[in-house]
Amino acid sequence: MTMKKTGFLFDQRYLLHDTGPYHPEVPERLQVIYQGIEDGGLIPKLRMIAAVRADLKWVEAVHSVDYIRRFEEVCFSGQSTMDSPDNRMCTETYETALLAVGGVLQTVDLVMQNEIDNAFCAVRPPGHHAEVSEAMGFCYFNNIAIAARYLQQQWKIPKVGIIDFDVHHGNGTQHIFEKDPSVFYYSIHQHPSFAYPGTGREFEKGSVDGYGFTKNTPVLPGQGDEEYRHYVTRDLVPAFDHFKPDMILVSTGFDGHRDDDMSDVKLSTGAFSWIMETIFQLAEDHSKGKLISILEGGYSLKRLPELARNHVRILLNEHIYP
Amino acid sequence: MFVSRSMTIKVVTIQPDATVLEAQELMAIHQIRHLPVIDAEDRLIGVVTDRDVRSVLPYDCYKNPDCAKEHESVAGLKIKDVMAVEPLTISPSDTIQDALLLIQKKRVGAFPVVDDTGKLKGIISVRDLLRAFTNVLGIGEPGTLLCILVEEKIGQMKKIVDAITEEGISFGSILVARYWEEDKRAVFPYLLTQNISRVKKKLQGMGYTLLEPMDWYLDQLPKHE
Repeated sequence: MTMKKTGFLFDQRYLLHDTGPYHPEVPERLQVIYQGIEDGGLIPKLRMIAAVRADLKWVEAVHSVDYIRRFEEVCFSGQSTMDSPDNRMCTETYETALLAVGGVLQTVDLVMQNEIDNAFCAVRPPGHHAEVSEAMGFCYFNNIAIAARYLQQQWKIPKVGIIDFDVHHGNGTQHIFEKDPSVFYYSIHQHPSFAYPGTGREFEKGSVDGYGFTKNTPVLPGQGDEEYRHYVTRDLVPAFDHFKPDMILVSTGFDGHRDDDMSDVKLSTGAFSWIMETIFQLAEDHSKGKLISILEGGYSLKRLPELARNHVRILLNEHIYP
Repeated sequence: MFVSRSMTIKVVTIQPDATVLEAQELMAIHQIRHLPVIDAEDRLIGVVTDRDVRSVLPYDCYKNPDCAKEHESVAGLKIKDVMAVEPLTISPSDTIQDALLLIQKKRVGAFPVVDDTGKLKGIISVRDLLRAFTNVLGIGEPGTLLCILVEEKIGQMKKIVDAITEEGISFGSILVARYWEEDKRAVFPYLLTQNISRVKKKLQGMGYTLLEPMDWYLDQLPKHE
């Protein structure tokens, strides 16, 4: 097995989005993620990618112009929340969100130009809850959805597969692509009767032309490694083997870890490695190894370093377990 | 929680002199099972259901109106011959709790809603009640469910609500299971937030037990003898 050329999107400016006191989505998340990767001696092996400001044209490929303008106004007028008290913001939030999108699109370019094989985008704010015209669950611009539209429109990629293993359902991403049969959205998450955002039930399978191109696996509170192995093998792998994506995007959330108090799902550190190895293999089988992982949630500052380190090692195709 | 707020106002109705086949067609088009029968002044005089229609049609004709037309005896059947007269009704000022209990008790799928003068104002069906209770549960909005075990004594709910409100979190709903264990109740606040770790720690700090949701899920499964 050969090493992969792996990109790592990280920028100090992603720390500028300040959520204030008593909020779990803090800048320290990215700092400990970087530290964990550096402590593993992995930085020299990675192609570092810096943030660039996104061209609004691509943000508009997903979000309404009215929403983008409203976000900008709310932010610059100094308001501390938008659409829900969950979405704490500061005057830097709008620019930081544009840098997150721009960094991810830059990463897409590098993968498509074969400069790198795959990448991990450590961005803030996260994106998968953001709807076309609404900020939700700490998310403002839907980074992964914009990346998928960019792949379709700029790079003419016929089929994009999105895998979302954040412990919360990616309602925004699902709704944006639920009618689109060229984007398959798969999510495994804590059951919506117990956890935010209350969507992602098994019967949500897409609509109209996109029916059958959305798949949800709800996991009950208290479940963990064994159930994830069973469900991922039963639901994700056959769905992607059938869909055969030309490119795989991953909404990476580490909040299903048993030490993360944002959920009642009890995954071990090793289970996250197994999930990522499975996704890596799907990329080998279908998308010539092309794979971009984009950070969503994950709030345990104690566990994030090891989780991010293992994640990047898998992308580099370094063996973790002998 | 009044019937008038939850009922369907645009009611599909039928006249007593219409035919059974017309009723069958109306119910198929609108995907409904109950047709209130009204006179020229909008007064309710009966109800016809898909079951009434089915019971008078030959079995092989039920899905095939063309076949039924060939049976003269069936084609001539009028609504007034098959409808239920003096049907059970409910008033717009009754509550949806009344409707729920009455639907359970009478084992029917819908009630015509009729005012004091006997005029039809709407219809309330199991479907309308489900919509009303989905709204009450608050599950149309994004949120997180907590499960708290409390002593059965006065004032517990206030403490919980105050503690959550102090965190600036809105409620989608609160359900209470009155009997949980001996002298214990279970309280289920549905909170309209993703940001729950701090409030969970706070409630635990106040001495409340947060139930592992799977514990009570397992409790609900049928026990093997």
